[in-house]
This record gives sequence, structure tokens and C-alpha cells, in this order.
Amino acid sequence: MNNFFRIGLASLLFMGCSKKEGQLFEKLSSDDSNINFNNELVESKNISILDYLYYYNGGGVALGDINNDGLVDIYFTSNQGKNKLYLNKGKNKFEEISVKAGVEGQSDWNTGTVMADVNGDGYLDIYVCAVVGINGFEGQNELFINNKDNTFTESAAEYGLDLDNYSSSAAFFDFDLDGDLDMYLLNHAVHSESSFGNASVRNKRSYECGDKLFRNDNGKFVDVSDQAGIFGGANGYGLGLAVSDFNLDGYPDIYVGNDFHEDDYYYLNNGDGTFTESLKQYFGHTSRFSMGVDVADVNHDGFPDILSLDMLPEDEKVLKSSLGDDNVQMLKMRTEKLGYHYQYSRNMLQLNQAGGGFTETALLSGVAATDWSWSTLFGDYDQDGEQDIFVSNGIPKRPNDLDYVKYYSNDQIKSKINTTKLLDKEALKRMPKGNVTNYVFQGATDLQFKNRSKDWIENDSIISNGSGYADLDNDGDLDVITNNTNAIASVYINKTDAKANYLKLKLRFIGKNTFGIGAKVISYSKGKKQFKELQTTRGFQSSSEPIIHFGYGKTKQIDSLVVIWPDKTYQTLKNVKTAQTLTIKANKDRNAFDYKKLHPTVLPIFKKLETGLGIDFVHQENDYIDFLVQKLIPYQRSDRGPATAIGDLNGDGKEDIFFGGSKGKKAMIYFQNATGFVKNKVAEIEKDSVFEDASVVIGDFNNDKLNDLYVASGGGENAADLQDRLYLNKSIQFLEVALPKIAQNGSVVKAFDYDNDGDLDLFVGNNSINNRFGSLPDGYLLNNNKGVFTVVQSKTFEKIGMVTAAVFTDFNKDGKMDLIVIGEWMKPTFFANKNGKFTDVTATVFPEKSNGLWQSIIPFDIDQDGDQDYLVGNWGMNSKFKASQDFPMKMYYDDFDANGSFETIVAIEKNAKYYTTLGLDELAEQFSGMLKKKFNSYKSFAGKTLEEVFDPKMLEKAKLFEVHNLKSGYLRNDKGKFTFVPFSNKMQVAPITSFLKANFDSDAKEEVFAAGNYFGVSPYHSRFDGFSGALIKNEKTIFLGNQVGIDLTQKAVRNLDIITLNGKKYMLVTINNKKAELYEMPSAKNGNRKQPTN
Amino acid sequence: MKAKFFSIAIISLLFISCKKEKSIVVTTDEYHAAIDNVTQIMIHDIFSPPVASRIFVYPNIAAYEIMAQNSKMYISLQNQLNGLDSIPKLDSKSAVNQPLAALVAHMELSKQLVFSEEIVDKFRDSLYQKWTDENEEEFTVSKEYGLKVAERIKKWMAKDNYKETRTMSKFSVYANQPGRWQPTPPAYMDAVEPHWGEIRTLVLDSAAQFKPIPAFAFSLDKKSPFFKEVQEVYDISKEMVKKGDNSEEIKIAQFWDCNPYVSVSQGHMMFAKKKITPGAHWIGIVKIASKKSNADFAKTVFAYTKTSIGIFEGFISCWDQKFKSNVVRPETVINQNIDENWKPLLQTPPFPEYTSGHSVVSTCSAIVLTSVFGDNFSYTDDTELQFGLPKRNFGSFNAAAQEAAMSRLYGGIHYRAAIVNGIDHGKTIGNFIVEKLKMIKK
Repeated sequence: MNNFFRIGLASLLFMGCSKKEGQLFEKLSSDDSNINFNNELVESKNISILDYLYYYNGGGVALGDINNDGLVDIYFTSNQGKNKLYLNKGKNKFEEISVKAGVEGQSDWNTGTVMADVNGDGYLDIYVCAVVGINGFEGQNELFINNKDNTFTESAAEYGLDLDNYSSSAAFFDFDLDGDLDMYLLNHAVHSESSFGNASVRNKRSYECGDKLFRNDNGKFVDVSDQAGIFGGANGYGLGLAVSDFNLDGYPDIYVGNDFHEDDYYYLNNGDGTFTESLKQYFGHTSRFSMGVDVADVNHDGFPDILSLDMLPEDEKVLKSSLGDDNVQMLKMRTEKLGYHYQYSRNMLQLNQAGGGFTETALLSGVAATDWSWSTLFGDYDQDGEQDIFVSNGIPKRPNDLDYVKYYSNDQIKSKINTTKLLDKEALKRMPKGNVTNYVFQGATDLQFKNRSKDWIENDSIISNGSGYADLDNDGDLDVITNNTNAIASVYINKTDAKANYLKLKLRFIGKNTFGIGAKVISYSKGKKQFKELQTTRGFQSSSEPIIHFGYGKTKQIDSLVVIWPDKTYQTLKNVKTAQTLTIKANKDRNAFDYKKLHPTVLPIFKKLETGLGIDFVHQENDYIDFLVQKLIPYQRSDRGPATAIGDLNGDGKEDIFFGGSKGKKAMIYFQNATGFVKNKVAEIEKDSVFEDASVVIGDFNNDKLNDLYVASGGGENAADLQDRLYLNKSIQFLEVALPKIAQNGSVVKAFDYDNDGDLDLFVGNNSINNRFGSLPDGYLLNNNKGVFTVVQSKTFEKIGMVTAAVFTDFNKDGKMDLIVIGEWMKPTFFANKNGKFTDVTATVFPEKSNGLWQSIIPFDIDQDGDQDYLVGNWGMNSKFKASQDFPMKMYYDDFDANGSFETIVAIEKNAKYYTTLGLDELAEQFSGMLKKKFNSYKSFAGKTLEEVFDPKMLEKAKLFEVHNLKSGYLRNDKGKFTFVPFSNKMQVAPITSFLKANFDSDAKEEVFAAGNYFGVSPYHSRFDGFSGALIKNEKTIFLGNQVGIDLTQKAVRNLDIITLNGKKYMLVTINNKKAELYEMPSAKNGNRKQPTN
Repeated sequence: MKAKFFSIAIISLLFISCKKEKSIVVTTDEYHAAIDNVTQIMIHDIFSPPVASRIFVYPNIAAYEIMAQNSKMYISLQNQLNGLDSIPKLDSKSAVNQPLAALVAHMELSKQLVFSEEIVDKFRDSLYQKWTDENEEEFTVSKEYGLKVAERIKKWMAKDNYKETRTMSKFSVYANQPGRWQPTPPAYMDAVEPHWGEIRTLVLDSAAQFKPIPAFAFSLDKKSPFFKEVQEVYDISKEMVKKGDNSEEIKIAQFWDCNPYVSVSQGHMMFAKKKITPGAHWIGIVKIASKKSNADFAKTVFAYTKTSIGIFEGFISCWDQKFKSNVVRPETVINQNIDENWKPLLQTPPFPEYTSGHSVVSTCSAIVLTSVFGDNFSYTDDTELQFGLPKRNFGSFNAAAQEAAMSRLYGGIHYRAAIVNGIDHGKTIGNFIVEKLKMIKK
């Protein structure tokens, strides 16, 4: 007794401690709730992770009020055992009624589950998916039709839904808007394909593995997959499923997350009973091992965004001991040769650009890494008006642990795999556990999410798979329920309660779609728009309560709610009080809804000219991968072309175009004629195709009234091909003339008569010494003497840094053109021009620590205070690089292994410690003896700081580069002193590589158009492809490309130029490895235009 | 209690002092065990076949050079191997136990060459303890000499361009160039050691001193010699499937697989089946032949050394050719042009096809071994027992090499030309080594 008392006291104390201050989710004890469901896995001779690749995927949850008593009931699926139904008795007490209700199920392996009113009688039915036909699994997908008395009748066959294949999940929704619910069935392949095979495998339908679409024809579900354009190949590893009207045309579309190398599918509903799979067109890249998917509008633009989960670990110890990213050449082969899209192993947050492309921002938004993740649920859990994220995760054994793969497994498995087909317990024991705490992120503004896993939720080590949300206790906030592997299901009760206001909406629609699946609700409150769509299949293998839920913080009353019904009609509720549950029935008389209203007004500034006026230049990057030669460098150098220049090259007064070539490809000149442009061959220039043209200037260098060409060679592939070239225009014939030896990896050339002697001088900036990334080249000031250039003031520009761009500009307002030079691992550097002599004055005019990976610069008075500011394009925040003034990104450069060639080691900070960006295998490729001897297992390497991996003395000796800031922004001019001001996060999704100043919208003022994106990074970062371009009017008004009629996502823009033809201005966009594009701009006559919605 | 301790101490003292008189005997079994230990470490650490050949050769050379000091039978390799000058000389009256010093040098260099040093240490420490117990003085002086020689060999070894090749570029795939090697399923690994041809040779003047006849030009024309060979690989594999699991061809292919890292993946579940390399297999045959012929310590070291030189030279020359011809593997061509679901019996190793490394190295090894143990030396090869494969009997080293070469065709990982021309290439190299190296006094 005494003892018991003591233990009791201790547990009380313990419980008191575990409940942290401010914890948002409180776990319900199973003793109190009576929910003791446990998805127990029992490994047997016949079934383990070796026999069935999705052995650890876990079960699902379906949430809904099955008896319409106003309380949400819970249904769990059990992989190997019996499914359970818990009736909500109120006050978080539940009664298990599975047997009575007849919903335990008959299948040997159950997976996903959905509650939906399949027969349209106002009562929720239950659909259960099963894996049938492998490993001796018997059974079928089951449909439990609600008898309205807490019992159900299995009727799958009657409805045509008694599938016996490899199902993981299903969604009931009305795809053809005929008023009843149809069904998408998500199936998964089970083959362990050893080779990738061509992506076209998806066209060959496999009954067992292929996804299926069923149309509900008066209660019979008819498989219309083929005619509807649904892929059903043997390579469809479908694990994630979300339905939403992504392009807001009134018809629900489908996003499917596929595991392994198969692409995710993005099915756009054509509105005629068919779909068009359009992933490649709309997404730059996706998750590689896609698992659960959810959809919500996270940025208040009224369009549904997508989060797809993967398995990237956050913890360095797990990260560096797990299989890493794809090999760069393998990815190239899979995408370019086998037809797959770009996929990378991490969560992806896909921001819907108003039904156009998606911009992926998971790294920028802080939600990229949640380890082995299954289910994601968007919800406003703290009811502050921003979408939060719940992620369930964990796996009993990590099969991708590198030590296991390379070292342990061999001893354990050896011939066993062939003989007994069973890993013995010992072998499984050696595989490390993958138990991870579930994650919760708090939505913030400016595309940010804050990781609140430490304080919002109990940090247990339970493995959670399927999950759903529901308001179990009817207090208005969203509770979360997870189905756990080998543990009792978790019920997280939300304790937001009355701390913030909410609106919970239950929709009642006409006909068979009683719950109004597919309805959208838009809430307007204090200028903030919130958009929600009623779809219940979300997360992973689960369905949530059929409600719409909004959070409003302290707001007591909102302006209006617009309910758009699935039949494209709508009704509006005005001045709605918050903190209440509303049941909204479809009005009898409903007006038709015009979906165009949901699409933002596009200011038609840019209009793509498909004809190109004869400009058919396609830049072709040559087949060269820097990472094969310089294995450890942080990004490529060889793919920054082409150079573009506009100017009259044949003396006819019309602007012509020079496009540089990549290494081995010819440069192109387009001459302008009366109606357009004509390609011309210039043998003198074509003969130099061995050079990669990195930058070019058109100018009359010998004052003969004919424009000449200076071409800076770059690319850094071969030291022999880096000499810059000068072509003088002799009566329309170009002739190459000698230049001083300027044979560095050129990046920029700019012309200006800095010494005011009447001829054009040049500044040439270089990026890096060939194949010695980290060794600094000189910049050159070239003085022009009657067409002959000599290098002057060499000391000033000696080793100024890895230059990317430069601008002649009078930054000190003394009437002389000064020079600003920017680059990577350096800060914007200011050179003042005093009587033709340049002096570095950066320390006085721009003192702050601001090394960046600067890409572009342009003078522009963005704050409209009358002085010149400078817009500066940087790397952006959407990469795994991380930098701040306190914790700069570091790069060490030295011949660390003393073999005559130099290496770089890049490290970033995590929790105040530095870690290499690369893993053991990648580093050991270069430092094999040094590292493999020191770390004879991945476990011994993982989690080690930079100084623990490399001898600090060795690092001290090396040259150190730093980056303090990765954001793009502007250098604000305050009386000749400059400070950096960052742009908002929508401008940080990719490197900004180019700016162009012009009067784009025909108002009185000039604007700047910015463009970017860049793909020359290893799969570690993925691709920076989501920047559609931006029109910068002033510091407060910046429109993304899709708001002004241009979409440059998935295009690595290198140059923007204005070209005039017959008095009309066009914007020329030059893109790496793609065709150049020409955009019409509004003419001055059109005057002021309507502003787009920002 | 005290008395007991005292008496034990006395006894031990006596024991030690008795032992002091006796010289330490280092057995051939101990040398075999040292080599076996290195072979096992290599399986664990995962070294590719060419790198493995380097791990075998330098420790053996160090041991051999010690044994050749003041030998009536064996000639030092100094000035016979590229860049190798003399090792510290041994006074004929020196108290150095040469086999002991040889084994010390072997272990010291092996430790330097592998990753898992602690396994070498463990093996070494037990020997050191034994030798200390047996005759500390002799052990100490011999060890010091052995380590001195090891240091000298290390310096020579450091100049073989190995370190430099670590930083050299990776193989560029250019997937759109038909006929060029591409990574193969399931792991799609990068090409292994694309610059191994730049490693300093020992006997050859360079990797390219001898070149095999060129590979057939890539062609998808069914009548072209190249495509006919592709078809042959496919047809043979189909026929083998018909014959069933117990066919001789399957047994041969599996016996000679010698792939150090076969990766197996089942969904997210991945693991490796690791085996010895072709070089290690032939090193294993050296052990079998040495034991069968009751070779003494010096001859054992001699046999290991000469064979490992043959293996080392074979790999450099073969790799030079592989990365000059860059021939695509049968698996790639067959999957793309004949049968997308075809899988070779053996997992395709991650480097270009032409010529077959096993063919070159096995032939070269067999010629060297024949020069040491004579022709028609019959033996039972149990090297692969540890991997669950049966023993096989051979009438001669050359017969074994012939079979090893053909195993690549049965395994579906090489065309016939790479085997036939690889054998010829191996012969040329082997004969050259046998002819050029003067290791035995006449």
C-alpha cells in the first residue's frame, strides 16, 4: 500500500512534468477514453519486411459521426488484426462496438480507410482498403454500408467496389459533378524493381498495382480509369492521395504521391469525365519517396497548396547515417533518358501560383525534413488564422541505415535471403530503430512555419502512421488521432479551447452528396482571405471529419463567408459570429458561381510572342558536370551562360542580337531587318566555338562608328579555352584582334569611359581559377588606347573575389562613374572613381558583414527617396545552405590531402555547431584514407561536427570563405552610405540572376523586372526552379510573374534585355539550355492600367 | 597467498629465461593467416578489385624483400620494380629473424592500406604477445627491422600516384552516347576507379605497354560482330535457364563471381552481399598451392609476392583499357534493345566491359603460379566455401583461369571478345612478368 502510494505520487509528479507549459495537444489516456486499439505487427515466417516492402506502413483512421448524434466516432484499420470502431459517448469516452457493428473486416492485410456517405442516405459508410493476392493475403476491399442503427452491412460487391488488389487508400468525391460520389482507388506496386525501366511503364495497366477511377452510375461503381486517362502501371507506388480543385475551375483534380522513382501524378480534371496528367508542366520537382499528402491554402491567395511527405531526417546523427541523395549522373539519366521528372528525397511544399505552376518552398518554409513521415494534416490548430501542420512519423526499423546496408546486413543475411526467405530476429535487431516524435509546425506569415514539436506535443517515441483530425469533444478546435504501430492509438486533444476563436462548418448539400464533398468555403475577415475545400481523404490512408474549420484569433465576428457548392452554385453569409459551429444547408435558390472571380486579375504587362520575330535561338548547354571533376564544390561553374548583348552590329542603325554559345557550340548573331530578325553566320566568331561565352559587350572600341564585340570566355572546363576575345568590326566584317592575356574563368565584362578620354574602357570580372574553386582570380581594368587595350591598376582588382556581376554607376554622386563589383563568397564591393583612379571604399560606404552568393545588381531608386539604391540578387533562402552574420556558411579551401589538387569543404551551422554539408561517402571519395580510417562506420561519423571530422589545425591552415546572407534585397542609399534590406520571402525562392530596368507598365516611372532560377547544384539541394519572375515597382509593391503575365518557373534565366523593333519595345529573356523568349510590352499609349491584386 | 604469488612469479621468470635460448619460429601458417586476415578486412571495408590488388601487393613485396636479404635462393626486387631501390640492408650476422621481420612488415603495410586498422592490430597484437613471450630480444630487433623496411616501402608506395588519382575526375556517363558505358542496375553505381590506368606499374613500363586488340565497334545492326556477341550473351543465358539451376555453367558463373559488393534491394530494404575480389580468389589459390606443395616460408612469401605482382599489373593494364574503350555492358544493351526485363545471372559490376578483368587477371595469375609451382598442378579450390559455394577441382592453374574467364560469359556480364582478348592480354602480361622478373638464383 505504502509502495503503491509512492509510485502513484511519483507518476503524478512525472505526469506533471511531462505536460509542458503551453502544450497544445494533450494525449488522452486510453484508460479514460477506452480507446485501446493497437496496430500490432507480428513478424512470422510468411511475412516480414523482407517479404512485403510496405510491411511497416501501418494502418489508417477514419473519422465521422456514424450515428448522427453530433459526436465524431473513430474507426481504425489493423494490418493483421481486426479493425475497430469506437463510438463517441461524449466527454472523450468511447465504446468499442466493432463486433456488434459488423465492421471488423475479413481481409488479411488492411490498409487505408475512408468514411463517406457512399449511398447518399445521410449516414456515413465505411470503406476499407486491403492488400490482396501477395504473401498469401486474402480478402477484398470492403464497403460497410450504414444500417442507421450502429450496425453496418458489408456490401462492396453490390456497389462494384470489392476490389482484390494492392490498395493503400481511396477517396470519395464527385469528379463529374453529377451529384453522387465517385471514387479514386490508390494502389501500390509491390515489385521490388531492381532497374528503373522507362517511365512509360505507367501506360501499361496492371490490375493489381494500378490506380483506378470509378464513376458512380446510380449506385454501381464503374471502372473508367482507361477512358478517363488514369495511369495504372506496375510502377505506381501510390501512397499519397489528395483531391482538390487545384486550378479552381469547379472540377476536382487529383494529386497522387508515388513512392520510389515513379513520378507523382497531377491529374487535372477536364470537366468532361477525363483527366490530363500534367505533373511535369506544373511542378518543377516533387518528393522522391512520396508518402502522405495534404492540401490547404497556406498563403491566403485562395488557391490550394500541397505538402507531400518524404523521409529526410532532421537529426544530423540519422541524416548522415542514412542513404543520401541520388547520384547526380543517375538523376540526369532518370530524367533525361528514362523520362521521369525531378524528384528529391524531402518534404515538398508546393505553392499554387493561382492555378499556374507550383513553386516549391519546403526548405525556405522550414518543413523539408521530418524524417520517416507518413501522414500530414494541415489545420489551424492554434486558431490564429494560419495553417499549421501535423506530421506523423517513425518506422520500427530503418532499412536505409548505411551501416546496416553495407556492414551488418552481410554477416546476418548472407545466404539466408535465398534459402529461408526470412531474416532472423538477430538480423532485424541489428537494424536501427526509427522511432521519431511526431512533428507539429505553427504557420507564420511570409511563407514561414515554426517547428513547435518540442512544446506543442508530447515527445514520445511512438510510431504513428495514418492520422486524421476531428473535433472529438465539440469544443471547436481540431483534435488529432493517429493509428500507431505496436502501440495504442494516440488521441491528441487540442487545448486551444477558448484561447482563440474558430468557426466549424458542417455542410448539408442536396441529392446524394449529402455532406457537400467538394464544396469550398472562403472566409473574409479583416482583409484576410481563408480558403478551404471539403475533402475528407487526407494525410495517409485516412479520412478526417467532414467539416470546414477556420481559426480567427481574437476576432469575434468576420465579414463574410462564401460557400461554393459542388454544383458551382454559391451562397454568402455576412457578419458571421465566430466561436460557433454552423450547419449550412444549401439554399433552394442558389446563384451560379463564376470561378473566374477566384482568379486574380492579371496585369497584362507581358505577353509572350510565340513567333519570336525570327529569334529562334536555343541555348544548348554542353554535356559537362562540374561535380565529376571538382567533387566537393558547392555548385557548378560551367552552366552560367549564355551571354547576350543587344546593339547594332552591321551599321544599319537597327539593334541586332548576339547570343553566346556554350563550350563547343557556336555563338549566334541575329540581324534586325524591317520585320524581324534573321540568323547570320559570322565565320570569324564561329571559329571560336571552343570557348564558352560567359559575358559580352557590344561597343565601338576603336571609334570607327561601327560596333565591335568583346567576349569574355568562361565556364571553367578547360584552362586552355579561357582567353577573352575582341572582334573589331571592319566594314561589317569582324576581325579578331589581340588582347592582353585575360584567360581566367570570366563572368562579366562592362564597358565605360572611366577616364573620360573619349573611348570605351572595360572592366572584366572573373569568377574562379579553372578547376581550383576557391582560388581567386584577378579582375581587370582595361584601358582603351585607340582600340588597343592594356591592363591598368592591376593591384586594385587583384583577387577581388569570385565575381559574378559589376556595374559602372556614380554611387557617390560626384559626377564620375564608380564601379560596384559583386560575387560569390564576397560582399558587394564599392570602387570610387577619383580622376580615373579606382579606390575600394566599401569599408566606409557599406561596412556591414554581408558576404553573399551575389548574382546580379542594378541601380534603382526602390524607396523612391530620390537617390540611387541598388537591387542585388542573391542565392535565396530555398536551399540547404544556411548563413547569418552570427553563423556564416563556411568554406575551407586547401590541398587537404597533399596530393597537388585543392579541395573545398563547405559547412553550415545547426544548433550553434558546424557540420559538413556532405556525407561520409562523398567526402571519402576525396579523402578516402583520411576519413575512412578515422570513421569505420557511418554511426561513428554521423553527428560529428566539422572540427571532429577534420583536424582543426588542418582547417586553420586552410583559406576560409564565409557567407553571411543568402537573401536577395537591396542596398538602401542613405546619403551615400548603404545598408542591406531583404525582400520578402516570395522573392527568396530561387537565386535572382538578372534584373532589367524599364518602364514596363507605361506609368510615369521605371520599374525593375527580376528573373532567376538555377539548376547547377547537386541533388542535395534539389533544383531552384520556382521563381516566375517579379516586377518591382517600389519597396512595397512587388508582383510575381504570374500576376503580370509571365511565368519563368522551371527556366534558368541568364539575361533580360530590351530590344526595339520599329519603335516597339520587347523584352528578350535568355535562358540556359532552353530557347530564348520574347515578350511584348504595353506601348506608352495605353496609359495607366488597372493594378493587379497583390 | 603471498607465497603462491611469489612462486608463480618465479616460475614465469624461469619459463621466460628458458625460452630465451630458443629462436622464434614463424610458420607459413602464420603468414597465410595474416593474408587471410587482410582478405577478410577487405570484404568488410569494401575495396574494389583494383584497389584490393594494391592492398595485396605492397605488404608482400616488403616481406619478400626482407626474405631476399642474404638469401641463397631469392633475388631482391630492387631496381627490378619501377622506382624500388634498396631496403635497409641486413648484416649477415644480424640477429634479425627474417620471417618474423617479414611478417611484421607485412602487417604494418597492410594496416596502412586498409581502413579497419583495429582488425590488423588485434591480429598483430596476439602475435607480438606470443613472440615477446618466446624471445623478447629477438622479437624486438626483428620487429624494429621489419618496421624500418615497412617505412621504406611506404615511401616508395606513396609515389605510385594512388593519392593523386583520388582527386581525379569521375567517369562522365553521357547517357545519350550509344555504346558508351552506363551505370547498371540495381545500384547504378559510379564507375569504379576510372584513373587506375594511371597507377604506377611495377614491371610494365606503363599501363599501355601491352594493349589488347580493340573491342568490336558498337552497333545495333543485327549482323554486326558487336551485336552478334550481345545476342550470344542473351541466348546463352536463356539456354542456361532451360538447363536449370544445376547446370555446370551456373555453377561456374557463381563460383567465379568474385564481386566484392553485390547490392540487393527489396523496396526500402537494402543490403549487400559481399565477397572476395578476383585478386583475393587467386591469392587464395596461392595459399592452396603453397600448402599442397609444402612450400617453406620463403617460397610461400615468394609465391604470394610474384602472384600479387601479376594481379596488380593485370588490373592496371586492364583498367587502362576499360576506360579507353568504355564499352557498354550487355545488361544495358539487352535491356534497351532485346528484352527490357532481362537480368544477368551475376550482378553487373560497376565499370566498363572491355576487357574482362577476371580474364586478364586470372590468366596472368595462372601463368605466374605455373612459373612458381609448375604446370599441371592439380588442386581443390575451396576459396569460396565461406560464401556457401562448393569446392571445385582443377588440373592446372591455366585450366582454372580459362574457366574463370568463361564464367563472365555465363554470368551475363561480358561479351565473348572481352574474354578471349582478355585471356590473350593476360597471357602477354603474365609471360612478360615471368620473363622479366629475376627472383630465383640459378
